[in-house]
Amino acid sequence: MIEQLSAAWAVARKELQIARRYPLNLVNEVLQPLYQFLLPSLLLGLTFYVGGRAIGLEATTGTDDLAGYLFLGTVVGGLVGAAFWDMAFGLKREMDAGTLEPTWLTPTRPDTAVLGRAFSALILSAIASVLLVAIGALVFGADIARGVVAGLPAIVLASISMIGIGYLVASAVLMIREPNFFVDSTNFIFAMLSGVAFPITVLPPLIQPFCYLLPTTYAVDLLRYYALGTIPLLPPPAQWLALVVLAVVYIVVGRWVFMRTEHRMRVLGTTGQH
Amino acid sequence: MTASPATFSATTPSRWDDLRADLRAFGAAGVKEWRLLRRYPSLFIGFLFWPIALPLAYVFQAQGYSGGQPAALDAFAQRTGTAEVAGFLFLGWAAYMWISMILWGPGTSLRTEQVRGSLEALFMTPVSRMVILFGPVVSQIVWAIWMFAVVGGVLVLFFRVPIGPIEAIRALGVILVAVPALYGLGALFAAVVLRFGEVSAMVQTVRGVFTVFCGMTFPIIILPVWAKAVALSLPPTYLIGDLRAVLLQGSDFVSLVPELAILATMGLVLCGFAIVAFRRTERFARRGGSLAQY
Amino acid sequence: MKPGYEGPAIDAVGLVKEFERGRRTTWQRVRRQADQRERFRAVDGIDLRVERGEIFGVLGPNGAGKTTTMKMLATLLEPTAGTARILGYDVVHEARDVRRRMGAVLSDGRSLYWKLTARENLEYFAALYHVPPREQAARIAAALQAVKLDDRSDDYVERYSTGMRQRLVLARALLPDPELMLLDEPTVGLDPQSSRDLRDRVRDLQAQGRTVLLTTHYMEEADQLCDRIAIVDHGHVVALDTPTGLKRTIAATEVVHLEIASSPADAALLSRLEQTAGSVARHERENGDLQVTVHVRSARDFVPVAFDAAREENAAIKHVEVVPVTLEDVFISLTGRALRE
Repeated sequence: MIEQLSAAWAVARKELQIARRYPLNLVNEVLQPLYQFLLPSLLLGLTFYVGGRAIGLEATTGTDDLAGYLFLGTVVGGLVGAAFWDMAFGLKREMDAGTLEPTWLTPTRPDTAVLGRAFSALILSAIASVLLVAIGALVFGADIARGVVAGLPAIVLASISMIGIGYLVASAVLMIREPNFFVDSTNFIFAMLSGVAFPITVLPPLIQPFCYLLPTTYAVDLLRYYALGTIPLLPPPAQWLALVVLAVVYIVVGRWVFMRTEHRMRVLGTTGQH
Repeated sequence: MTASPATFSATTPSRWDDLRADLRAFGAAGVKEWRLLRRYPSLFIGFLFWPIALPLAYVFQAQGYSGGQPAALDAFAQRTGTAEVAGFLFLGWAAYMWISMILWGPGTSLRTEQVRGSLEALFMTPVSRMVILFGPVVSQIVWAIWMFAVVGGVLVLFFRVPIGPIEAIRALGVILVAVPALYGLGALFAAVVLRFGEVSAMVQTVRGVFTVFCGMTFPIIILPVWAKAVALSLPPTYLIGDLRAVLLQGSDFVSLVPELAILATMGLVLCGFAIVAFRRTERFARRGGSLAQY
Repeated sequence: MKPGYEGPAIDAVGLVKEFERGRRTTWQRVRRQADQRERFRAVDGIDLRVERGEIFGVLGPNGAGKTTTMKMLATLLEPTAGTARILGYDVVHEARDVRRRMGAVLSDGRSLYWKLTARENLEYFAALYHVPPREQAARIAAALQAVKLDDRSDDYVERYSTGMRQRLVLARALLPDPELMLLDEPTVGLDPQSSRDLRDRVRDLQAQGRTVLLTTHYMEEADQLCDRIAIVDHGHVVALDTPTGLKRTIAATEVVHLEIASSPADAALLSRLEQTAGSVARHERENGDLQVTVHVRSARDFVPVAFDAAREENAAIKHVEVVPVTLEDVFISLTGRALRE
């Protein structure tokens, strides 16, 4: 167990070392959510302002702090991206580069290597989130800092769940020949259903139940509740319980599916193919 | 090969023959891009998914922002000139996706060829350099038309936006006027990227500028004066504004002539810049030997 | 070729190519700072005259300037100085005319589109080479047949072996039915069988009346294929002649390689061998032993004398090898280095 954790940390360290050699990529981690999502969403929101206030948003969610609402969503959106792109799609990058097979030749379990990538992804996501929250507060006047601190345990629990979900997506990445569209689209759908960009209450009733299966739905809702005083989707104690249960379920199921997939790949002999 | 020593095929053709051969080469470039695309079937699914999913997310967001409040919806209608929220957002994002397709496709094609190792092989052929620069555009236009057709279909069938044949023809006209500007931009981008090599960072920067300034999700009248000036210097602003005008506000072509004239002029200027930039890049590469380097 | 032109296929005079090392930043350009980058000459005054119908080889080690010379002739690089004409057309001012008449293999299989079939690759390039539509099918079929890929023409290039990709690159170069072929290290990275196949294709090209300029650092390849060879080192031509003529520049018919156990008398022994044979081409230490290469008229006469000299100097000859003179020996005698260094 100690050896596997040590190996996971070695993988994380390697990923962080590589990331450090591409500082522009880290800048992009902050800038891309800003121009691709936050600014267009803010500007759209401004179009609905009445008397300088987001009265529509207040009616839907209980807050008129548009910037705060969106920046908190972005923090959780970063978590989703870390699981899908860094943790799971990172496997595909290793396959393409030819470095996956040598990794699997070592005594380190494949799921441990994925776990290591999860550690580095979460660290980088945390750094980007801190910077984004700072930008939100300093530039856009989003008053969210205290709420983020109060909601941090929710982020931690959701992160654990996302590691499990990352395992599931990684399994798909291993089996699908061209996983780009799959990862891209599921990442997007996951983020949207979590309420990152808008309150899930505006979704059609048939779709809403799926939102409650996602840990990030509770994480973002609790963050907004503590920071902005929004109307919670469920009573907060129920949401904390859901986060704990989902963390356990996703980790166990995700890891099991990944190990089965990895075994299947060894049987089929497709580890080195891309 | 059956040629005898004295009878090799090459002659010096007339300019007209050269032009016809270059036009055929354009077609061949389009066929090549299509054949390459065919090897990635998931891309086809993407061309159906993203034109719907991405703007739909913003439609849901707009519902959250309006909260069903009449005052909020009125504010939107006053600022944008239309009450069709879905139409407003779908058209803005369709333009964004077209621009993304151009930047990632034709915009990076030269750099991709260089990294792949096939750029030198292209430069050793007698084909006009314009084919190398603008060739990837040809197949890409088909996808742009497909994407706009998907968006139009969704607006008419699901959101009941009243778009008739006349409006559709006007919209097609706006798109055609925008083609030289946007693809000139793509070609200019391709030449710059080939010279400096930082593909991803440049694509993200240009996309970012367009997203923030061109009114993808908002009317540019809400921008501060300086930002509005920037917006009015960018071709996508006119594309998006004019598409919304003909499809959502019932504007006819005549009323849009000044803006379309600006867009057409931008097209000429950008294509000109692209050709100049590409010639300089090629000259630089032939002096420094960087055609094969990356 | 140019109408009325009667000259050689390639006529290059005083070709020079200078590169700058390092990058000049945008800030330096904006401030108009003097360009202080170090300049180096990859090609330093090369004259080449390749007659029509011959296979002309450019032989030299890595970094000698062979590829740079080829790229200048192929219009991919602009010379810093000098002139070059291909079939009468200037490579700088009449580049398009040059490209119409020349086929070049300057890269490996990476320059193909792996996600297309061989035929699709050739269809695309046929259009870029301005092959008339009514001739395209026949030219593509002939090109594939010439390189013996006609039965695999509808396979994706990603499934080809390295040798097959290299042959397909050659097929592509044949599409314009060129009078001149430029082949830059065409067999590098290929296994012996594939290399042999490719050399056979090169001979076929000459039989068809084409002129071939090829570069290589494999001296056996140059020896077997070329009518004339230019040996290039550090950017200029150090020798130019037929293979036989080049080998005759060494006043020897055989080469003797000696492996001598190192001793304090090495210098004295070398001096004695020099006096005996007249030409110690090379000597170096390897794994503690002295490796000596000697050019001789008769190994039969030289070897016993070498053993006597070694005995008198208390040195032991561990191994003797006698081989015919090769172009590598010519290169060593001219430059003091081996081709593969």
